[in-house]
Amino acid sequence: MALATDNSSLPPAVGAAEIAALVEPTRVHRRAYTDRAVFDLEMERIFGRAWIFVAHASQIPHPNDLIRTRLGLHDVLVTRDPEGPVHVVLNRCTHRGTTLCSVERANAASLVCPYHAWTFGLDGTLRSVPHRKSMPASFDMADPGLNLFRAPRVADYRGFIFASLAEDGPAVEDFLGDMTDVLDNFIDRAPNGEVTQEGGAFRLEYRGNWKLHHENANDTMHPGFVHESSVNAAREDGRDYAEPAYDEHQAHVQMLSNGFSVREWQSLGLQGLANGHSYMDGFYTQGILSPDRDDPISRSYRDALEAAHGRKAAAGILAMDRFNNLVWPNLNINAQYQQIRVVQPVAPDRTVVQAMCFRLGGAPEGMFHRAVRFLTNLSSPASMIFADDAEIFEKVQAGLSDGRREWLDQSRGIDETVGNGRIASAGTSELPIRGQYRAWLDHMTAAP
Amino acid sequence: MTDAVDRKAVDRGAVEAFLYREARLLDDHRFEDWLALFADDGLYWIPAQPGQTDRFGAASIVHEDRTVLRMRVRRLSHPRAWSLTPQPRSSHLLGNIDVAPAAGGEIEAVASLQVAIYRDGDRTRYDGRQTVRLRPNGGDFEIALKRIDLIDCDGTLGVLPVPI
Repeated sequence: MALATDNSSLPPAVGAAEIAALVEPTRVHRRAYTDRAVFDLEMERIFGRAWIFVAHASQIPHPNDLIRTRLGLHDVLVTRDPEGPVHVVLNRCTHRGTTLCSVERANAASLVCPYHAWTFGLDGTLRSVPHRKSMPASFDMADPGLNLFRAPRVADYRGFIFASLAEDGPAVEDFLGDMTDVLDNFIDRAPNGEVTQEGGAFRLEYRGNWKLHHENANDTMHPGFVHESSVNAAREDGRDYAEPAYDEHQAHVQMLSNGFSVREWQSLGLQGLANGHSYMDGFYTQGILSPDRDDPISRSYRDALEAAHGRKAAAGILAMDRFNNLVWPNLNINAQYQQIRVVQPVAPDRTVVQAMCFRLGGAPEGMFHRAVRFLTNLSSPASMIFADDAEIFEKVQAGLSDGRREWLDQSRGIDETVGNGRIASAGTSELPIRGQYRAWLDHMTAAP
Repeated sequence: MTDAVDRKAVDRGAVEAFLYREARLLDDHRFEDWLALFADDGLYWIPAQPGQTDRFGAASIVHEDRTVLRMRVRRLSHPRAWSLTPQPRSSHLLGNIDVAPAAGGEIEAVASLQVAIYRDGDRTRYDGRQTVRLRPNGGDFEIALKRIDLIDCDGTLGVLPVPI
């Protein structure tokens, strides 16, 4: 498979006019996906400035907890400093550049470099170096340049931790806009108001651009073609409830749900928000994943939610059926099924998708098991659904390496309704893609 | 724990022959026949964490009983399963096979597993330990559990397109 990355077609510094020329209302130039200079600018202007989701508070519940993740191309540690707020620091010693932490999570009062034991606080401050007396007088422990690089802004929206590498910019609530509704709903679904990341996580790598995952998330024309094989396997299998099935036929429902007719997809609403965010309305309409499911686990869960919030409020919480809530540029949320995906660019033609599920505090254990099943069925490297998406991303990327045809069409459903800062359209529109490119242009053509 | 006497009581040759046949069915794309080796309550499990013991409270790369596995096998023959087109070819190698009696009259066979998968110009290697619980069934065996612990089960992985 061709993995050619075109690094030569643009000069190293890409000007705003050149960037602006890559996006038109109904089409986008292939270099947005293949060009190293464009990718580098994305890392600087988008992942280097916007609010990027880095962790959930439950991943670092105790003082001195830390996890290792990525912020753009940076290897970073998200630390819970007992003395202060959550910090996001570069996982790189300021002495010789050594990677400090090689595990995914730890509890440590300080960060000690394995090479010469330079020691840093969880806020990145240099605390000690060995054999101090051999350092010259000019070596100043208080020099901020000796501290670990630290993200200037970290914000916690109800446990969802975002970081920005820009000193200034909009508050995280302004950046999220109405996407706060789905984060609120995610938390409100827990009878005790606490959600915790549990059940493991997947990291799936595909050889394609990071934007392809987002563009696919709310593209409702693709499932009928891309997922035909899994839809078909579920349809042919019937629904034989007489047989024991420990996943309560959840795999069946998840695979079957991609089998909507175009008319059914069309009936789903698509919403595009400012800053590139988007979502689609209700998706799982029948069986164990439908909003009105009435099996013993769901009933017991609903009872717990009603006990906590009252019947009317509980019904309101469960009624929100927004699916694939894309918080551009790196987070995708499914509140109903306690799932998130985090998209991490690696190279123009390489992306890692991290997928995780959550436990709803105060809900029956069976609800958590369903979230775990959902994660396995939809986001595992062996998923019968996601495998075909990833394959398509790779086919797109391979095709785009050829420049004889330069443009990708994104005109489907262009007749959208604009109002209240939103763009709404029928379910088959490519409006989420156009909305993402509006935000992309805003970032990419902003002042240096 | 088992002792040497217990191990001698197990027909090691028959167990090995079964394991080789099972691997061969996968390499030969005879997935329906492969599925038929599983007991009605049989389980195919590829954990996502080293030493994983919880099948329900922690996600797995694959965690399927026959009802789900049957759909997986059905999908394998669909002409437009894109991650299976062109059809992947696999080569299984089993080694260091250890056979011991287990509870309930079952037999546990633990082996080192190497699987190479080739598709569309790419070759991928999967390495790990395979643990199979076999149940005697009319002169043959049926699979009560096939568990594969990949050495990189919690690492960054590409698509695993076929059963291994």
